[in-house]
Amino acid sequence: MIGAGLRRGDKRRLVPRWLDPHGRHLGSWAFVANRLTGLGLVVYLYLHLVILSTLLRGPEAWDGMVELFRRPVFLAFDLLLVAGLAFHGFNGLRVALVGSGLLVDRHKALLVAAGTLVGLVTLVAAVRIVG
Amino acid sequence: MATRTEEDFTEATRWRRRPRPTFAWVAQVVSGVLLLVLLTAHMVAQHFVVEGGLRTYADVVAWIRNPVVFAVEALLLVCVTWHGIAGVHAVLLDLGLRGRAERIVARVLLDLAVATILYGLWLLYMLAFRG
Repeated sequence: MIGAGLRRGDKRRLVPRWLDPHGRHLGSWAFVANRLTGLGLVVYLYLHLVILSTLLRGPEAWDGMVELFRRPVFLAFDLLLVAGLAFHGFNGLRVALVGSGLLVDRHKALLVAAGTLVGLVTLVAAVRIVG
Repeated sequence: MATRTEEDFTEATRWRRRPRPTFAWVAQVVSGVLLLVLLTAHMVAQHFVVEGGLRTYADVVAWIRNPVVFAVEALLLVCVTWHGIAGVHAVLLDLGLRGRAERIVARVLLDLAVATILYGLWLLYMLAFRG
């Protein structure tokens, strides 16, 4: 994956090839989406560690924050997080399979399967979070 | 045979051209597959089956004192940090980062990964044994 979006002579491009919208195929859009969700999830990883650090301040601090996180705006964020995780996970699995030379000619079918699974996981999460 | 006027940037073609998998690629695939399992376990056990989606302070401490849970969360921390930081490195390479700047950034990212893992392990230890 490292360096996969860069080709010889691309060093001075203002827009890296994986962000260039010209002549893109569905699979390469999925590649871009995988990068963007990945960066978002890295930001969330550190946000998560900061939030978990509240545990060091004892029961009152943590339990008060748990109440705050049950507000609708945070629940909506939770759903977005689950959708992002599911997309990055299932599409990442597709990228790993294709990148390892497996099911290369089926990568579009794999993308449809990944999209279906993301939809299902997000739906189950929505029912669980709202319900 | 038709003359190809534009290069084919489909994912399948791009992957086929790869001469051999790099260590970074293999490590990203292995950590990614592990994350699919570990994150699913984490999300289900820590959030989906918990009333209200988040544990109280007392429940968090009791839960993390289980050695299996402690080990799974520690492994998840290592995998997610490696996968995330290596992913950021890959994106920076795609953006054209090379030479001395790349070596400095790679060193900073490695230090950040080590610091993140050490902090996360300390947090787990504090909760399990001092919480």
